Amino acid sequence: MTGMDAILNGGLQGFLVVALLLFAIGLATVLLRRTLLMQFMGVELMLNAANVALLAFARYRGGDAQATVFYLFIIAVAACEAAIGLALVIGLYRHRGTTDSDRAASLKQ
Amino acid sequence: MNKYYWLIPILPLVGAAFNGLLGKRAGKGAVTFVGLGVVFGSLLLAASAFLAMKATGDHRLVLNYGEWMATGSLSVPFGMVIDPLSGTMMLVVTGIGFLIHLYSVGYMHEDEGYARFFSYLNLFVFFMLTLVLGSSLVLMFVGWEGVGLCSYLLIGYFFETDFAPDAGLKAFLTNRVGDLGVSIGMMVLFAAFGTLTVSDILTQAGHLAPEVGFGVLTFATLMLFVGATGKSAQLPLYLWLPDAMAGPTPVSALIHAATMVTSGIYMICRLAPVFSLAPITMDVVAWVGAATALFAATIGLVQRDIKKVLAYSTVSQLGYMFLGLGASGFAAGFFHVFTHAWFKALLFLGAGSVIHAMHHEQDLFKMGGLKAKTKITFVTMFIGTLAIMGFPGTSGFFSKDEILYLAFLKSPALWVVGVIGACCTSFYMWRLMALTFWGEPRDHHAYDHAHESPLSMTVPLMVLAVGSLCWGVWGIPEAFGGTFAIGEWLKPALTFGQLHGAHGHHAGPAVLLACISTGLGLVMGFLGWSTYRNGPAAELAFAERHPFLHDLLLNKYYVDEGVELYLLRPIRWFGNVLWKLFDVIIIDGVGVNLPGALARVFGDFTALFQTGRVRNYALSMALGAAVLLYVFLK
Amino acid sequence: MFITFAFVTLLGALGMLLQKNVIVAGLCMVATFFGVAGLFLLLANPVAAALQIIVYSGAIMVLVLFVIMMLNSHEEETAQTARPVQRWVSVVLVAVLALGAVKLVLSSAGLKTLAVKGQPMPGAMTLQQVGTTLFAEHLLGFEVAGLLLLAAMIGAVALTKRNL
Repeated sequence: MTGMDAILNGGLQGFLVVALLLFAIGLATVLLRRTLLMQFMGVELMLNAANVALLAFARYRGGDAQATVFYLFIIAVAACEAAIGLALVIGLYRHRGTTDSDRAASLKQ
Repeated sequence: MNKYYWLIPILPLVGAAFNGLLGKRAGKGAVTFVGLGVVFGSLLLAASAFLAMKATGDHRLVLNYGEWMATGSLSVPFGMVIDPLSGTMMLVVTGIGFLIHLYSVGYMHEDEGYARFFSYLNLFVFFMLTLVLGSSLVLMFVGWEGVGLCSYLLIGYFFETDFAPDAGLKAFLTNRVGDLGVSIGMMVLFAAFGTLTVSDILTQAGHLAPEVGFGVLTFATLMLFVGATGKSAQLPLYLWLPDAMAGPTPVSALIHAATMVTSGIYMICRLAPVFSLAPITMDVVAWVGAATALFAATIGLVQRDIKKVLAYSTVSQLGYMFLGLGASGFAAGFFHVFTHAWFKALLFLGAGSVIHAMHHEQDLFKMGGLKAKTKITFVTMFIGTLAIMGFPGTSGFFSKDEILYLAFLKSPALWVVGVIGACCTSFYMWRLMALTFWGEPRDHHAYDHAHESPLSMTVPLMVLAVGSLCWGVWGIPEAFGGTFAIGEWLKPALTFGQLHGAHGHHAGPAVLLACISTGLGLVMGFLGWSTYRNGPAAELAFAERHPFLHDLLLNKYYVDEGVELYLLRPIRWFGNVLWKLFDVIIIDGVGVNLPGALARVFGDFTALFQTGRVRNYALSMALGAAVLLYVFLK
Repeated sequence: MFITFAFVTLLGALGMLLQKNVIVAGLCMVATFFGVAGLFLLLANPVAAALQIIVYSGAIMVLVLFVIMMLNSHEEETAQTARPVQRWVSVVLVAVLALGAVKLVLSSAGLKTLAVKGQPMPGAMTLQQVGTTLFAEHLLGFEVAGLLLLAAMIGAVALTKRNL
């Protein structure tokens, strides 16, 4: 079972499995938690999973610095998104007094 | 000169356009000038064309003015054919038409819609000429429909009344039923002969194989006869003609006596060779004609409106014409068309003169003693009555007796029916004369104001009276020492393209039959006159004693009521059903509202997905992504 | 080594998912990030590991925790209406996705060739390598990222003003 072997010993497939599971958990957080901030954290988790996958592939396919540079950009974007997103959450809280995403449903038909 | 003959129908059209569009502004003088002028011009050109036709060897002028339609094997040129039949008819239309236009100047003088009247009248002349002169059945049909339209327009001329527009509509709709027959007949003829040009059809008619030809021709001619029934007011499509009396009297004279109603007979004469090849149709024509002649004559016996009597008389006389045609007497039938045009127009115009004198009173029971006051009208109507009853020597005598003789040759029963009808004709005409002109005036107020009509009205009366007396010479049969000139004259037209000619007659029985029918006619006429010359008392007494019979005749055998009950009401009910069921429920409900409702339901359903909650949207996205992944990675 | 870091990561993530208390969930998240940094180290990328810790757990998570505390939302509020269908569909979906993905990865032939042991692996990533690549080939991207950060800064300030 090269698969299990790789998982146990840190081969590419192991990293990928970790990344995929992290992504799944992040998705679950977004879908199952009602607090906006929790959903935000789920999104960050999904980003991280992607990062892991990216760097794992980079390592096992030649390992030049391009991937790391890209990773840098991803982090920059994540930071921006965090700033704006949190600002919006604060704004929503000011208007509605809640951070429950289910209550912010005024675009309902 | 040939190239101007197209003006014969077109001049009246121009007149109609002028009078219709500019007439009101141009004033009565201009309308009169144009209205009379175009018809007179047409008459002159027609005379010229007639003479030109006579000058040619085979008495036939064919003039083509370009192609109207040419599709597939159908070719319809703008063509005129002037042969003895169409030439004579052309002169009748323009000549008697002109006299009636002249009469209308006086009769319609006080009317508001003077220009409109002349416009319609001119338009009628145009269409009638198209019908008569057209070289193909298509042009004839254009004229056919057009005169139906003008009839509707003119009957409904007094559109402010309740009755006139309804009468116009009744005429038009009844005509339409007949037109269906003409259309089908034309289509069958086209299918059989591949052409709608009359001369081509007639030429080919003889060459059609007997087994095929018989059925096809019988069907086609029956359909055409249905159309003739509608246009010429025979049973059962005669109902519109009495109601058509709602129109002004000159209209009744021109359209419903002299010209339009004779179109049916004209059409059959045009296609005489084709009809001759369909003996079944000929029988039908003869019997329907005879039945109509008798039927209408009996109704005319007790009518009180002077115009209604003449209307039923027209229906009856048309029946005689068809009887003649059906008995293979095409020339005889047409001869009666010709003589009838003269004396019936005369009688109608005379009646108009009487109505004018009596200040629009039309009830016979209120007239009386007018022979002292309206002498010219009296004398001319007297002459017209002599003609219609077939007094020996008048034109009507020769034409009617020729028909009766041919009817006898076909079937003695037909002759008997015809003679009974003739007796009734005599009786009711003299009843009319007696009630109008003899005896004590019953409405003194109107009588005191009665006066003779102006020259513009009496001159046509005089011309027509002379014609009613004299034209008999054209058709004196051999039995009486003549040559039946009209038969010879019409032969090239009636037997065009045929190999065999008409049959001859025997002298003996003809004279005897004529004596019997004329004698009976004279007796009945005298009876009619003497019964009524002192007023309608006798009739009122009769009505008391035999109320059922009297009312039956007075109410026209309740046919109108029957039609209303058994035909019109079901049709209206059906229309209602179509509306309520079909239109509202099926088309509106299912066709229009249902898709709308479905769209709404569907929309409402899909709107359920728009919850406004981010998590739901995220879930949908994730589901979608999962599906896509599954599909792509498969 | 790998197993350890993997476990830390995954357990932290699960903790974050399942915790009721939002602050504790945030702290679990931090643990996850540390785990991920460790994984990066195992991938011979110390640059990435350092960046992960500095930026993610050091900056972003701190920001999040600040906001949580500011908004006083420690506890998860009770739902307005229970939506079991949605909950279960989500769980099932996620489970299916996870297992499916894992199975895919494990059975993929292409991936197997990439992970053969004994192949010479490239050396560790150095900051110098990253820097050179960044400033030589991706200079435009760098500038744009800077601009983006500027915009985000301005946006965040603007969005949170009480009185515009």
